[in-house]
Amino acid sequence: MIFQQILLDIFLKLNNERTVSSAYHLLRGKRSGQTIQDVGIFSLHAYFSLLPKLTRQKFDGFVQLFAENGYLQMDDAGYYSLTSRGIEQARKGVPCTFDSWHYRGNEHIFYERLSLIVQALSHQSANIKAFIPIQRDEGIQYFARQFLLRHQYQSGALQVLLLQEITNSLEALAVTEEQRELLINRLTGVDLPGFTWQQLAYQAGRAEMDSQLLYISALHNWLGHIEHYPYLADIAQQLRISMPLTDSAYQTAKLFQQGLSLQQIASKRNLKQSTVEDHLVELAMNDITFPIEHFVNQEELVQVNKAVLSYATKKLKVLREALPHLSYFQLRLALARGGN
Amino acid sequence: MLEQALQKHFGYTSFRTGQKEVIEQLLAGRDVIALLPTGMGKSMCYQLPAYLLDGPVLIVSPLLSLMQDQVDQLKQFGEKRVVALNSFLTAEQKRYALHFLHQYRFIFASPEMLMQPQVKERLRAIRLGLIVADEAHCISQWGFDFRPDYLRLGEIIPKHNKPPILALSATATQTVLQDIERYLHMQSPFYFLHSVNRPNIHLAKRFFQQKDDKINWILEHVQTTDGPGIIYTQSRSKTETLSMALLERGIAAAAYHAGKEAEDRQFIQQQFLVGKLEWIVATNAFGMGVHKGDIRQVIHEFMPANIANYMQEIGRAGRDGQPAVATLLYADGDEQFSQFIVTEDLPKMQHIEHYLANGDHPMRMLDAGEISETAFRVLHYWMQQESSEAVQKRLQQMEMDKYKAVHEMLQIVQATDCMRERLVNYFGQQLAEKTPNCCQNCGLVFEEILSAKQTVEEPEKILTWQERLQRILLSSLR
Ligand SMILES: [Zn+2]
Repeated sequence: MIFQQILLDIFLKLNNERTVSSAYHLLRGKRSGQTIQDVGIFSLHAYFSLLPKLTRQKFDGFVQLFAENGYLQMDDAGYYSLTSRGIEQARKGVPCTFDSWHYRGNEHIFYERLSLIVQALSHQSANIKAFIPIQRDEGIQYFARQFLLRHQYQSGALQVLLLQEITNSLEALAVTEEQRELLINRLTGVDLPGFTWQQLAYQAGRAEMDSQLLYISALHNWLGHIEHYPYLADIAQQLRISMPLTDSAYQTAKLFQQGLSLQQIASKRNLKQSTVEDHLVELAMNDITFPIEHFVNQEELVQVNKAVLSYATKKLKVLREALPHLSYFQLRLALARGGN
Repeated sequence: MLEQALQKHFGYTSFRTGQKEVIEQLLAGRDVIALLPTGMGKSMCYQLPAYLLDGPVLIVSPLLSLMQDQVDQLKQFGEKRVVALNSFLTAEQKRYALHFLHQYRFIFASPEMLMQPQVKERLRAIRLGLIVADEAHCISQWGFDFRPDYLRLGEIIPKHNKPPILALSATATQTVLQDIERYLHMQSPFYFLHSVNRPNIHLAKRFFQQKDDKINWILEHVQTTDGPGIIYTQSRSKTETLSMALLERGIAAAAYHAGKEAEDRQFIQQQFLVGKLEWIVATNAFGMGVHKGDIRQVIHEFMPANIANYMQEIGRAGRDGQPAVATLLYADGDEQFSQFIVTEDLPKMQHIEHYLANGDHPMRMLDAGEISETAFRVLHYWMQQESSEAVQKRLQQMEMDKYKAVHEMLQIVQATDCMRERLVNYFGQQLAEKTPNCCQNCGLVFEEILSAKQTVEEPEKILTWQERLQRILLSSLR
């Protein structure tokens, strides 16, 4: 199962240093400092907010299953450790790639826009004026209407142009034929209703969740290679998250860019210094050009990286013991930069 | 005169049963309770008056999908002044809608939305032309134990210059009709009651010893008789497993329940409509707002919770007037499970104690997961209305009513005399004439009604994704 491999991959990357719940928060895309820092520290960008609607019950079901299969052991505090069997299984890898960090569920908005536009064009081709829109969200409907008007859909050429763009871009994409089919089978048109997840999964002999994951993976890939296709790029506008920060961290970032010191920001924003530190760590994680040299020098960075390797951990407590001259803040900054 | 308006606004040349009578009364300012079968143009009873009355028409609708369906229908007629107030609106959309509320011709809303203070206040400032309770049996069926806000609908009805009120339903017993009249503060309403009998729906039933036998019978039956049809069952997981079993036997089937994604639910309806799906395996979430005339069979894998549900669900068959069969399956002891299900979501005695123990913060029960949301809503409503002793009595009464409804349904199952007559009598009506192949008890020959399974057609050629995309976008070039 694909989802199982994803979850094992997360546990592997978290290196037994976090609770089971942190994997859940990661998949749901919880916008808390801790979860966001974990993304950077453990290189989990692929999975942040991959499944915003994942239920705790379902998640716990999988963890339970892992325990039963001898993949991991749980302790009372909610921490886990992968067994050698679990590690072996995790190393088999995930059969598809994700870029959740940059889309966070926005890939679905892209598809909702696209499917409504395609449905409208299908009805126009068949000369049917009224139809029940497959997307009910008024924001999506507004977008689709504006898109159609912007590109003079009444001329009748848009169908052909969009057909070419979708066909060409999908053919060039490094995804499987099954994934391309998934993308097109969820579209709906005159006399050609889309297929349900139950139908698609049954056809492929997969679990519904796995078909959905393959579809999301295909969407991430597609969105990442869409810029040379003007119509598709227009449909994808403003969906990629380039500077993903919590709102409060964003305020801090602006002040930092204006040249205020950590203490100045704290007093100006009436925040604790530790909170501002959290923000700066988040900032460093998101932006590789963030000048962490203000706080940690090159030599210290090398020391941290060495310690991470020799102790095989990213636990702050252990690192602090090994490098007592560095503060927690400095350590976190160094970790946030990670391998970058 | 009215016919001209009908032609002008909707392009129809004549009214269907009951429409004209109802509309005339409404235009004369009288309250109306109309019992009209689903699929017979119930909505026209308020759609046309909206063009003839001053002020917007407010339609209270129980289900989001139903509301959406009616909004879409009106938009297809070219009506733009339609709004649906529901929980899916963003704060901004809602502000906008409320601000321009008086300019709409049709305002759809859920009862919960109407009880929100700012909505209530805004409605008070507007002069409505007509208030409609759609699927009005929900006031009684759902109001007491499921969505108490239904009982408070009276609060939005102005005391002075009251617009006429229209209650629409397909199935309602005498008791329910009384509840509707009372809770909507109706004043000697005009009744239009269409016969609840549907002569082209033949009523079959089958008994089994074991629950699994029902499944085996269904698997056998759908392989030998023709659909399209709906199989109703009681749980989401069962819709999944049963539809899977059908798929494995090469039957075009799909599961449908409220837990499915909105798009999936639409795909299923569309596929069913265009004939790509033969069987829908569904919970009672499927049906309202599905306009498919040629449904030939409805099978109840599990007995419905009450007779009203049964009538609504079988009523989805044979809307085209052609023969259809409704088959009710029963295995020993089904009613016990049914009793369990129907009371599952009611608040229990211990919940009253916990409610009181939490003092000013009863919501804590919800947060602590001690009670379901539905149950809490009901408990909270009644605890604010009356003493805990009275609530306790009321809860017991609700439970009794539910059991009674299950029992009434069971009697239909176990009856040895005419099922049709019993059903019609239950709604306070008399059966005018006998139907051939009436019901299992009167004698019923399946073969005379249902056609045998057609030899399987060549499966449709599976399109490559490129072909499919091309057909969707360039459908005129097919
Ligand atoms: Zn009979």
